[in-house]
Amino acid sequence: MADPTTQTRTLDHGSQPERFARGWHCLGLASQFKDGKPHAVEAFGGKLVVWENSKGELGVLDGYCRHMGGDLTQGTVKGDEIGCPFHDWRWGADGRCKQIPYARRVPLRARTKAYETVIRNDSLLIWHDPEGSKADYDILPPELPDIGNREVYTDWIWNTVPIKGSHCRELIDNVVDMAHFYYVHFAFPTDFRNVFEDHMATQYMASKGRPDVAGGYGDADMFLKSEATYYGPAYMINWLEVDYKGFVTEVILINCHIPTGPDSFLLQYGITVKKPEGLDDKTANFIGKKYADMFGDGFLQDVHIWQNKVPVQNPLLCEEDGPVYQLRRWYEQFYVDVADIEPEMRARFEFEVDTTKANEYWHEEVAENLRRIEAEKAENPESSDAGVS
Amino acid sequence: MASFVPTSQDTVEDQRLYTQARLVEVECLDCLARVGVKKNSEHQTSVQWTAEAQAQCPDLVRRKAAADGARLVHARCPRLAASIEAAVADGRIQIGAEDGY
Ligand code: FES
Ligand SMILES: [Fe+2]
Repeated sequence: MADPTTQTRTLDHGSQPERFARGWHCLGLASQFKDGKPHAVEAFGGKLVVWENSKGELGVLDGYCRHMGGDLTQGTVKGDEIGCPFHDWRWGADGRCKQIPYARRVPLRARTKAYETVIRNDSLLIWHDPEGSKADYDILPPELPDIGNREVYTDWIWNTVPIKGSHCRELIDNVVDMAHFYYVHFAFPTDFRNVFEDHMATQYMASKGRPDVAGGYGDADMFLKSEATYYGPAYMINWLEVDYKGFVTEVILINCHIPTGPDSFLLQYGITVKKPEGLDDKTANFIGKKYADMFGDGFLQDVHIWQNKVPVQNPLLCEEDGPVYQLRRWYEQFYVDVADIEPEMRARFEFEVDTTKANEYWHEEVAENLRRIEAEKAENPESSDAGVS
Repeated sequence: MASFVPTSQDTVEDQRLYTQARLVEVECLDCLARVGVKKNSEHQTSVQWTAEAQAQCPDLVRRKAAADGARLVHARCPRLAASIEAAVADGRIQIGAEDGY
């Protein structure tokens, strides 16, 4: 083989998978679907219909009627079923057509794609598997204690961001990306560890905000301790301890997504804050809103990068980078048939990033930026917010 | 059926370099579990387990049972950590990266 150190390196864009990941996918807060109307959710290259039956349970079916392709999301909830707007075939949450009001009998083959559902941490989760397996309830994300208790946690702030032109693996890559926290999110990551095992992938990070930039996590008084675990391909729980000027708040951030097409997905994130002792609701909600804005900013910073980058199968890494290849090997398990899962995709892997050199350099750079900002302020005192662009 | 298929043979070689090259087998001095270890610096460590090794480490098994799938066990087994240190001390593990891997 030719000497790779003298050759020009090329980017291997690879080819994207033709399928969507197997696993639990979160469609958002369950409460939004509970208004007696059918709801449309774009997912897995198509559209789903979600509605609530008389027992308060949510049904999720493929959005298109197996009769003549009518759009069930524009239908009507009738009793426990969803009635199609075209000829009123009535579909139950188990995927069977229960009734065709104008017909003598319902064809035995009248079955459509139904998704198994679970309510977890106030959200609606559905099981998706291109192989059509039964849902695996053993690998559900854990239930967060007290999460629905409004005495203990604030209401969710829940946001959605449609992403076009990127495969959702770009989002997953963040799990191991130590350095982007400085450049994209404006924080110094001081400790950074990853552990992957079974269907879980975790990032442990401690960081502090940059004093020379605003936006994202940029704020010298902001210290974060973060443990973020993907439970399967699309649902992450992020336990955060946010120390702002010595005031410590526990924040839960849910970061989840639904793939909508081969290079698009719907990013969703929800924030709830553990109400600090002795703080009134208004203040607690204010804090929740503040952190939701901060992490929302963070996602938008990522989105901007994704929308302008190219896919890379062969990233070139330096010693300070996290284990991108091992993370992608872990992620691959959700895209192959169960029979083709390799043991190393699920075997435990631990990685500790050395952040020493990076932080030495970054602190020098930030000190230099601060000196420049001071100098600029001294030169034209009226423009108060000279920043670094 | 593969996904995210690379289009170049060099990518397959990169995958091997980053996930397997320079991994040194270390045996835990206590439970004898065998893992692959790489150290790119004093502070950086990669530990590649296998299912057999995981089942053999009593510390991991105990903490995993206690966590019950809710939180991933993140602290390294202290006895394995000591075994890795010993392997570094007697020169079986070389510290330092080779062109980033
Ligand atoms: S297409 Fe749905 S009832 Fe005819
Ligand atoms: Fe990011």
